[in-house]
Amino acid sequence: MFRLPISIITFGIVCCAFATVRSQSIEEELGNGRYVIEGRVFPPDDSELKSPWQIDTRIHVNGGEYIGFIKDDGSFTIHNVPSGSYVVEIINPDYMYEPVRVEINSKGKYRARKVNYIQTSQVIQVPYPLRMKALAKFRYFQVREQWRLTDFLFNPMIIMMVLPLLLIMILPKMMNDPETKEDLKNISNMAKMSELPEMSEMFTSLFSGGATKANAKSKQVKKRQ
Amino acid sequence: MNVKERGASRKAAGREVRQASGKTAASEKPRAKGGGCCNRRCKRAAAATPHRASLHTCIHTHTNKHSDLRYCTAYTVHSTSSSIHYKNFVFVTDTQLKRLFILVTGRRQTYVGRIKFAQFDTVSTAKKIIVATEENVLAALHLKTGEIVWRHVFESDSSGNIRLLHVGDKITTVTGDNPYLVRGWDSATGVLMSEWSLTMQDGSRAEFSEFWVQNGLLVHMVPIYHSHIEVTMYNLMTGSNRGATSKLPASWIDPGQVISICLFTAPYYTCVSRDTPSRMLLSINVTSNPIQVIRRSLSSIMQGAPGHLRALDGNSVIPGLIVEDKKIVLFKNNDFKVLNTDVPHYIASATVADTARGPVVMQIQSSRGYHLIAHTLSGELVPEVHSPDSFYDIEEPELLAVTCARDQLACRLLMNTVDEAVHLVQQGGVILWSREESLANIKSVEFVDLPVSEADAALESEFDQKEGSVWWSFVRRLQSQVQQLQVLVERLRSGEVLEQGPASLHRDYFNLHRIMVLVTEAGKIFGMDNLSGSLVWNLYLPTLSGARTILTRRAARHPHTAMITIVGTHADTGNGYIVTLDPITGRIVPEHTVQLDLGILQCMTLQETGDDQLRALVILDEDEAVQVYPPSAASLVHNVHMYVADPDTAIVKGYAIRYNGREVVSERTWSSYLGGSRLARIVSVSSRSRLERVRSPGRALADRSVLYKYSNPNLVLFVLEKTDPTHKDVVVSVVLDAVTGAVVGASSHRRARALPLAVHADNCFAYMYRSDKHRRVEIATMELYEGKDRWSPAGEPFSSSASWRAPVVERQAYILPALPTAAAFTITERSLTDRHVLLGLSSGGVVEVPWSFLEARRGAVGEESVLPYLPELPLPAERVLSYNLTLPRLAALHTSPAGLESTSLMLATGLDLFYTRVAPSRTFDLLKDDFDYYLITIVLAALVLATYGTKYLASRKTLKMAWK
Repeated sequence: MFRLPISIITFGIVCCAFATVRSQSIEEELGNGRYVIEGRVFPPDDSELKSPWQIDTRIHVNGGEYIGFIKDDGSFTIHNVPSGSYVVEIINPDYMYEPVRVEINSKGKYRARKVNYIQTSQVIQVPYPLRMKALAKFRYFQVREQWRLTDFLFNPMIIMMVLPLLLIMILPKMMNDPETKEDLKNISNMAKMSELPEMSEMFTSLFSGGATKANAKSKQVKKRQ
Repeated sequence: MNVKERGASRKAAGREVRQASGKTAASEKPRAKGGGCCNRRCKRAAAATPHRASLHTCIHTHTNKHSDLRYCTAYTVHSTSSSIHYKNFVFVTDTQLKRLFILVTGRRQTYVGRIKFAQFDTVSTAKKIIVATEENVLAALHLKTGEIVWRHVFESDSSGNIRLLHVGDKITTVTGDNPYLVRGWDSATGVLMSEWSLTMQDGSRAEFSEFWVQNGLLVHMVPIYHSHIEVTMYNLMTGSNRGATSKLPASWIDPGQVISICLFTAPYYTCVSRDTPSRMLLSINVTSNPIQVIRRSLSSIMQGAPGHLRALDGNSVIPGLIVEDKKIVLFKNNDFKVLNTDVPHYIASATVADTARGPVVMQIQSSRGYHLIAHTLSGELVPEVHSPDSFYDIEEPELLAVTCARDQLACRLLMNTVDEAVHLVQQGGVILWSREESLANIKSVEFVDLPVSEADAALESEFDQKEGSVWWSFVRRLQSQVQQLQVLVERLRSGEVLEQGPASLHRDYFNLHRIMVLVTEAGKIFGMDNLSGSLVWNLYLPTLSGARTILTRRAARHPHTAMITIVGTHADTGNGYIVTLDPITGRIVPEHTVQLDLGILQCMTLQETGDDQLRALVILDEDEAVQVYPPSAASLVHNVHMYVADPDTAIVKGYAIRYNGREVVSERTWSSYLGGSRLARIVSVSSRSRLERVRSPGRALADRSVLYKYSNPNLVLFVLEKTDPTHKDVVVSVVLDAVTGAVVGASSHRRARALPLAVHADNCFAYMYRSDKHRRVEIATMELYEGKDRWSPAGEPFSSSASWRAPVVERQAYILPALPTAAAFTITERSLTDRHVLLGLSSGGVVEVPWSFLEARRGAVGEESVLPYLPELPLPAERVLSYNLTLPRLAALHTSPAGLESTSLMLATGLDLFYTRVAPSRTFDLLKDDFDYYLITIVLAALVLATYGTKYLASRKTLKMAWK
């Protein structure tokens, strides 16, 4: 009965010892002014996802100055980065990820924020360690315009063409109705009865008459000279 | 925030640039006011007036591997307008071309670079070869085909340098230079499994450290000279230290001045003692406990050996050394074992492999060809693993890895050659596959037109003969038609397919099929078919190194063959080395292949050709003397100007080259110090492509006037970087006229560092820099305009010495939300289509940016034809030419015009090769590939039928009416 707790205690001591050793080694690593950028990439929820999606995904820091690779679970670590400002990009040929700017100050404090190239002083913080989620799938190809009947029919030009056509086709059909025939006849009679002069004729007579007069006048002037 | 440069408000001429007084008055031309103040309304000119621009040739020469040193020449020759072939604007209804559309999506070839370490992965089910290369790439190659299964590209600098590759049940790599990164990879999928960093406290000793894997532990060894060896072991997965560093006393470690006098062959560390009269071979197994030093006098191994050691190649199963390129010494049972089979040749490669008959020493016997010989450790010849004859032309093979079957004597050998090719060879000498890894490092590219087919050549020669009356030409016409008919009949009779396959090297109708001549860093030259991507020929020139430039001397035209010249330096002497070859067959033309006695400062080809259609090569050597090849063409040299730029001092000199009746002489006409008062460095130089033609003299404005372009073909853009006490780094760009040395335009950017990317076409300039102030990449553009009235009458060729007015310089800058690594302009045959800037990005994509987005006049007030100004450039995915093909480490983009006006050919080089066709204004001279031939045929037929049908009906009706 007594042995068990003792063994547990010794185990605990050993664990503590290991932990201190580990923490010391990390401090040593960071002692030379080198830091670590950590994060995790989440794959898109897509059934078409290729099975080892990790192999096509890279982490580029400052456009490939430091390159990181992701593990099976999507986590990544970029080692030996000196303090400064870095743009962390996830490079995947099929899915788009938003880049993040990670700033490490000389004391080793981290800040992650959205990349804004235009308003460089604007700070929108994002959580650190980084959590990168796929925004959308890249659409490299424009969808080719396909010929569809509905597109064709609802084209305003087509509607403009088709409607008068319908009127022309349907109106004679309506003429079969005797009452409307009567009406139409009346309308045409009205048009005949009102003896309005033809517009074009009126104008031609007006202009031609005026022109001849003007010509005659100019001739007279010439003769006088 | 607006990145519009403040420089735009500055005066047009470069205020930032102090121009040193040149030798002649040419560099001190009076500065005129900008030509923009013009009130006279110009008549709207036809934009497509053929502009008889003076032609211009420019050559880039990389003389230094690291710095972007480019010497450039420019010269003017007033050209006569060439006849225009309208065949380019014919609409295509040929089904043959339909097939070409498949290629529009692009073609990629992947490479890994020269292989440094290789191991067969025999553990996992899918057999692979794991390789680590000098290009810092880790990859798995398929054992049967040699294709890449997966690939990881590390950083290109020393932090990505692979120091160790170990293949066990998983792959372990050690990369970098203190701090080191130890990574574990899954060999089947290539997914990262573990990663930890190892930092040495004393960085000065880091370069001597060695790594290897033993019993699942990473062993790190550092020799401390004259004292001891430090050995540390780490857990492979976690990096936890198993026991502290052990120090092995070894005061005999004494590295001499002679290289490789101490050598590490895991786990033995061996040195040759220097001070003892009889030189001793001392060795220590650094992992053994207790420590035991093995000694043996060198004279007992080989008489009179000075002590040159070399390790065995190709993951030898038993560690061993080659002493004095002669004797093989193996470590066995903690002792030396000298084999009685000698190494036959001083570069012969040897290794020990495990076979069914125990360990066998394998050696490649000769320096040329594959000539394998194998012995057991006791010295018996193994006849099964023996290949006495060399079937293949392999240069200096070196064994990388050997694997043999367990039950029978069947081996496969992976070999590296000096021309950076990799071959997997079966023991009998059958090459299973080869990879040309030198293509991962291309220096220079040239697109070469193919010769026309014989029938077409005959047709063209019909028009060549000028003499003779009308009747004679009529007879010739008939003759050639009979010839064509004969050819057709013959083809039909023999049942040959009329369609030309891609294998036939003849020019196609639209000149889309080319040979790409690729010059690699290793000195190997390739001819590649651009449509299929297959290598047509290759040529290895071990003595060709340094600067490389390819110049087309002659296009293939009946009866002459094509000729290109590669200008480089000789590897042994450093002097100029000129190689001329036929780009279609890859044969060297010996009479035009010269080794010069001096280094080359600058070279170019003349625009005018002699009787044999060959363009003469003009070379300015280090003594500023001119040499012309062939010498008979010296009389053709007139009105030629060259310039030479020194990138480190930013001094640019201009030369005028003349024929004075006896010989060709050079005279320095101007010199300019671009750096101003401070030390400056030329980062990038760009001049107009010699393939480019200018067709439109200006652009129409909204008020129906024309803004005329300043189309000087002799302009060169220099991008400089200099330090400034108040603004840290300053990037200065200067546009010079290379003939007179006059500064035409300039601008500067404070707190910025230049990227070695600058492009120039027509009156447009673009260059990129990294803004330190805003921590982003920006692209600056410049455009030069004459103003609203024209300086010279239409059609008059441009002359640099005649123009005394300064053009209006428009400037603009944009934010690029990515890091570019390569840039180029698209070139089309007549420059009627839009111009796009192609950018290769660090993310591995090639993206096209229309010039209308980059225009310096973008955002001009009251201008409808230009886009409003937006600081950030959009890079949408639709504009990515490489789609989802990632092109790691894009180094350069090469463009060439196709025979179709709408199309430009593009080759991206870097680690991979990527070829595609670009159509900046869409394919306006081509039918869509889904063009519905059936529909149009049916509609036409229906119309014809309906016409005749209604005609018949109408006539019947009139007949009926007549009877009524």
